[in-house]
Amino acid sequence: MVTSSRQTVASLLLSLSFVTVACAPEAPSRYDQVQQETAQKGSVAVSKEAVNGGQFNRYFPKSQAGFAVVPAQEKKGFAEHKVNRGGKNVAVLSVNDTVSNPAAAQKFQQSQMRIGGFPAVEQGQTGTAVLVGDRFQVKAQSRDPSFTQQDRAAWLQKFDLNGLSNLK
Amino acid sequence: MSKPIFKEVDDLPTGGLTVTALKSLDFLIPGQWQNLTGFDNTIRAVTGETDEALIQQIGERAVALYNDKSQGYQRALWLYSTVESGSGLLGAAALANRIGQDSFLGFLKNITPKPETAQSIDLCVKLVTELVAFCQINGIPGDSIGDFLAALGDYSGESLMRMAALVCFDGVIPLGPEFADKALSVFDSTPAKELEGNQTYKSVQELIPGHDSAQKKGFITQSFDSTKGWMKRFVADKNVTQQGLLGRIRGFIDFTDDKADYVGALLDMNVKYYRHTGLQTLARRLIERAVAEI
Repeated sequence: MVTSSRQTVASLLLSLSFVTVACAPEAPSRYDQVQQETAQKGSVAVSKEAVNGGQFNRYFPKSQAGFAVVPAQEKKGFAEHKVNRGGKNVAVLSVNDTVSNPAAAQKFQQSQMRIGGFPAVEQGQTGTAVLVGDRFQVKAQSRDPSFTQQDRAAWLQKFDLNGLSNLK
Repeated sequence: MSKPIFKEVDDLPTGGLTVTALKSLDFLIPGQWQNLTGFDNTIRAVTGETDEALIQQIGERAVALYNDKSQGYQRALWLYSTVESGSGLLGAAALANRIGQDSFLGFLKNITPKPETAQSIDLCVKLVTELVAFCQINGIPGDSIGDFLAALGDYSGESLMRMAALVCFDGVIPLGPEFADKALSVFDSTPAKELEGNQTYKSVQELIPGHDSAQKKGFITQSFDSTKGWMKRFVADKNVTQQGLLGRIRGFIDFTDDKADYVGALLDMNVKYYRHTGLQTLARRLIERAVAEI
C-alpha cells in the first residue's frame, strides 16, 4: 500500500514536471506589457484625426548642393524623407502628428531651446526635434557621424516650419 | 492573436539554409546584407542609439504601430510569408514534374504543371508581391508602379538582397540568363483561368490590385514589364550566370551536373528568403517610423 502510494506520488510528480516543462513560459520580454495593451482587436496607434502624411511633403526641404532628399515613407500622421550624400544615407528627416501620441509633444514643455522660433529638444545621441503649432513634431536624425548636431539644427530650419504650423 | 513583432524579429535565424543561401550571393552586392536579427539589435543598428530607456520607448512605439492593423505592417508580413509557402508547394510540384520526365513515373507530368510555366508565374507573382508589400510598408498607394520603380533604384541592405535572390534563385537558376523575357512571355500567354489554379498566385491574389483575375493578371504583367529593365541590368552589370550561381550553391548543397535542374525546385522548397529579408525590411521601416514619432 505504502509502495503503491509512493509510486502514485512519484508518477504524479513526474507528470507534473512534464506539464511544467511543456508549459514553461517563454522568457519575459521588456515589451510584454505594451504587447498586452496594444494587441487587442481594433487596437489603434494612429488617431483618425491625424493629418495624412502626404500633406507634410511640401514642407520638407528640397535636394541641394551635394545632398539628395528622397521621400521614403508616407503613412497617416507621418512622412519621412532621407538625406543622401554620394548615394549614402546620412540623415533622416520626418514630420509626425502628435495627435496620435501626445506624450511625444510633452517633452518640449520644459525646453528652453528654440529652433526657428519653435520649442526644440535634443533626443538621444542622434536626434533633434522641434514642435510646430503645438502639434507637429519635425525631426532630423543623423545616420552617419559626418552629419552633426549642427547639421541637424541647420536642416530643421530648411523646413517650411511656419507653413507647417498653419496646417490644420 | 498574431505573434508579437519583437518575437518575430528575435526569432529570425542566424544560420541554416536560408541564411547560407543568401550569404552565397554576397559577391553580387558586397557587404549590403548583414543578416541583422533581434528586435533590440535592430533598433540599435537602425537608430545608432544605445540608451536603454530610449530603446524601450522606440520599441514600444514600434510594437503599437505593428499591432494597429490599419497600418499595413501585418499585411506586409503576411504577403512575404504567404507567397513563399505558395511557391514551396510549387517547388514540390516542379520536382515531381522533373521526376516525371526523367523516370518511369511519366504520368506525374499530367498532374503537375510544366516547370517553366510554374517558375515563370512564380517569379512574376513574387515580384508583384514585393511591389504590394513595399506599398503597404511605406504607405504608397498599392497600384503605384512608378513610385516602386523610383524606390527600386534606391534599394539597399536586405531589400536589395531580396531582389538579388529573386533574380538569382527564381530567375536565372530555373529559367536561364534570358529569364526576364522568358517569364514575361510565358506569363502573358497563360490564360487568367489557368493562373487561378496556380498556388503562388492563389495564395496572395486577394491583395493584388484588380477586380478579377484578368485585371490582376494585367497588373502583374505591367509591373513585371516595368521592372524587367532593372532585373536585366542587374544580371548584366554583375555578370550573373547560371553556371556561376550553381558553383556558389555547390558550396553548400551537394549535387551533380545532371541534377542541376532540381536545384531551383530544391531552393524553392527550403529557402525562405522572401519572408526572412521581408521581415528584416519591415522591422527596419517600422523602427524608423517609431523613432521619428516618439
